[in-house]
Amino acid sequence: MNERVEPVYLEEKLEEIRADGHMDFRSKSLPTWCPGCGYFSMAEGLTFALKQLGLDHKDVVVVSGIGCASRFPFFVSTYGFHTLHGRVLPVATGVKIGNDDLTVVAVGGDGDAFAIGGGHIPHAARRNVNMTYLVFDNGIYGLTKGQTSPTSALGFKTSSSPYENGDVPLNPLMMLLSYGASWVGQAYAGHKQHLADMITEAMSHQGFSFLRVLSPCVTFDKTDNTYGNLNMLVRELPEDHDNSNLMAAMGQAMQTDHPAIGVYYQEKRATLHQAMQATANRAGGSE
Amino acid sequence: MNKAGTDIQIAICGSAGDGTIASGDIMKRAAALMGYNVIAFDVYPPEIRGFGKCISRIRISSQQAYSLKEQSDILISLNDSHTIPHVGEVRDFGAVIYDDHLVSTVAEGGHISAHINAAQVPYGFSIRQISEQATNSARSRNIVILGYVAGLYDLPNEHFRKIIEAKFAKKPQAVIDDNIKAFDAGVLVGQAVFKLDDVVVGKAGDEATGSKAVMMTGNGAVVRGFMEAEIQSYFGYPITPATSIMERLAVELPPAGGNFLQTEDEISAIAAAIGAGYTGSRAATATSGPGLALMAEMLGLGVMAEVPVVVVVSQRGGPSTGLPTKTEQSDLNLAVFGGSGDAQRIVLAPTNVEGCYRCAGMAFDIAEKYQTPVILLIDLYLSNRYETVVPSVEASFAPKPREPLKLEDHQPYKRFKFTESHISPRALPGEAGFMHTITGLEHNESGRPNDAIHMDMTIKRHEKLNTAVNYPGLNVHKRFGDEGPVDVGILGWGSTFGEILETMYEAQAEGIRCAAMKVVMLSPLPVEALKEFFADCREILVPELNYEGQFAGLVSAALGKPVTRLNRATGSPVVVKEILEEVRRLSVQSRAPLSAAE
Repeated sequence: MNERVEPVYLEEKLEEIRADGHMDFRSKSLPTWCPGCGYFSMAEGLTFALKQLGLDHKDVVVVSGIGCASRFPFFVSTYGFHTLHGRVLPVATGVKIGNDDLTVVAVGGDGDAFAIGGGHIPHAARRNVNMTYLVFDNGIYGLTKGQTSPTSALGFKTSSSPYENGDVPLNPLMMLLSYGASWVGQAYAGHKQHLADMITEAMSHQGFSFLRVLSPCVTFDKTDNTYGNLNMLVRELPEDHDNSNLMAAMGQAMQTDHPAIGVYYQEKRATLHQAMQATANRAGGSE
Repeated sequence: MNKAGTDIQIAICGSAGDGTIASGDIMKRAAALMGYNVIAFDVYPPEIRGFGKCISRIRISSQQAYSLKEQSDILISLNDSHTIPHVGEVRDFGAVIYDDHLVSTVAEGGHISAHINAAQVPYGFSIRQISEQATNSARSRNIVILGYVAGLYDLPNEHFRKIIEAKFAKKPQAVIDDNIKAFDAGVLVGQAVFKLDDVVVGKAGDEATGSKAVMMTGNGAVVRGFMEAEIQSYFGYPITPATSIMERLAVELPPAGGNFLQTEDEISAIAAAIGAGYTGSRAATATSGPGLALMAEMLGLGVMAEVPVVVVVSQRGGPSTGLPTKTEQSDLNLAVFGGSGDAQRIVLAPTNVEGCYRCAGMAFDIAEKYQTPVILLIDLYLSNRYETVVPSVEASFAPKPREPLKLEDHQPYKRFKFTESHISPRALPGEAGFMHTITGLEHNESGRPNDAIHMDMTIKRHEKLNTAVNYPGLNVHKRFGDEGPVDVGILGWGSTFGEILETMYEAQAEGIRCAAMKVVMLSPLPVEALKEFFADCREILVPELNYEGQFAGLVSAALGKPVTRLNRATGSPVVVKEILEEVRRLSVQSRAPLSAAE
């Protein structure tokens, strides 16, 4: 990728936006996403959350894998580590173990998370690594120009499924609930403020928080996960949803025809760091 | 080498579950306690219990020894069918100890006594019966034989008793008592026997290491080096023969305030180590060839994003699952070149147990200085073999305090800044004002994705390693033997170098002008030192435990010169006799054309 030269005429506009403070968390690089991409909402949401939580830039590390969503670390002014395809969670786990004072946010797309990286998710979840995992799920491989992903719908036509996708899509929420994630939520890129609030809430959770963000790929998906379709289908979790009830959470997660946004499930339990400290105590260590 | 003083080798052979390895363990620890130099190596089957063959070989010497001998002085059978093929490895006038109790179920020719050569000395006694008399069980046969050897060769009993008590310290007192009873019963029988062989066990001798020595395996030495270097984070996944590194650190790291995590696979292990290394934590992982294959992509990330990480690789027979419990040196190419792109990393291959300790102790410093992955390449023969080591008192592997960068010196801060040494100023997450993103994409000095700068950055990543071959305190190569021009130079790496040294001393004793050189740093190669060695040697022989001659190929390509290869892919260590035959042949060849020219 070539260096981007910032167009000068943006400066004035940027001055205005800087005034609200959320821009502080943006880097000088402009996002490389297509105009209209749902990922712009996540960029706004995450910078909103960082500001909202009063975090210092130096104490935040955004770790990502490979894919459109994984370009995110370049667009924030915190520390960042753009790693390998599918390996965001083990690297982020290492970062958190290496320095527990850091706030770690792992970012990736659906291919990065559920295809090549699928084997790592259960372990980050069950260990309850104290970090936030944001998965921007557009049901397609965008960076390689539109192939079928593990969350693509049955019958979806792409360059890798020209005769329609015959594989049943994964249900990421059901996976994370059964893996033992201690915070599971869903948001929609079309509802920006809700998304920003959900990221803030996920990052406030002590333990492994997983937020799936339904996000249209406006370039390669003109039929399924479009803003038009999602605007019609997406609903909020019922007001009486008890998010301490795992069975209720699973019940909601199974209603994939009308995906609900909100906090599906949360529980308090020892984080990996706390578990390792307990191990050290049992071993007779000083910590 | 000098054969004066004690230099004997005992081999104990049995079936998995006979206590063969346990018996060998007591033998070698007792010998080390007596002050002998000990080298020991166990061969065992992949099955935990059943009918697989186990052999424990222990060389006990009053002088420095570099490898096991190919001929044992004493062979002890706990299972005749497994031991019979090994009778031939006992030297003439050496001893074969076995159970001579008549067992009606043994088939014709199934008893070991029928296979002992005329020149070997058979010692048969009722091992099982004595075990049963002493402890009401046949399970202490492996202890009875130790007592027998101690009695026969007049070895100090108290050392054995001490080791037996320590070994079973966590068991009920009755177990300790039974084992001591079995040992004492063996001693009585051994003392009553007329000694007919010519095996001599003398005093430990002046050169012996005495009580300062610690007996450890290569893997144990790696852990000791890591702990002295104050390793902070370890991530591992079980794989033979590297597992014992993980198991030991699982015990030692938590009480020392370190982080230990058993990950879901090898990819995660190195990924997490790189993540921790990125934050400034001293992080490592250990694996074998199959695990290294999985780690190859992550090594590339470490090189590209310039993150320090230490990876121990203990090779076993390959490819694929290969020979999990047998040794081989066939992952050199993978360690040096594995992964995509031009991705030079540092590869250290210690040649003995002490080298494992030193290299592991220095690996973090090196990784941090050069901001790149460091691979410690050993193999099963080195991982599992015991050597008596005197840990050097002057060595200190503790990290020096980090000096944080000053913000005013770095405006704007560039994580991958071009410098004279090609090493860039490294800030850590959490340090104010230095926020940056690192990536596996090609990037400019600031870390932003950039293709146009690829050539310059590739040069930077390679050139920064140039000074590694002169790293202070690390012998990245060492020459032994005759000075000046020699007929044959033996060039080696890793565990094989012990046999190479033994060969060189034997060749010198035969009057062959001979030198040997070990190369510890395989990447980057110490090319200048190799050039000097090549210039001094008429013939160069490279023995190694693989079929393709991977080290020979590496050196040949770097120097543009041919070498004579000696490749063995048998799963066993290379044999001194075979190297020696090749040295003899080359020494004749080296002189033939020269005398014709004269």
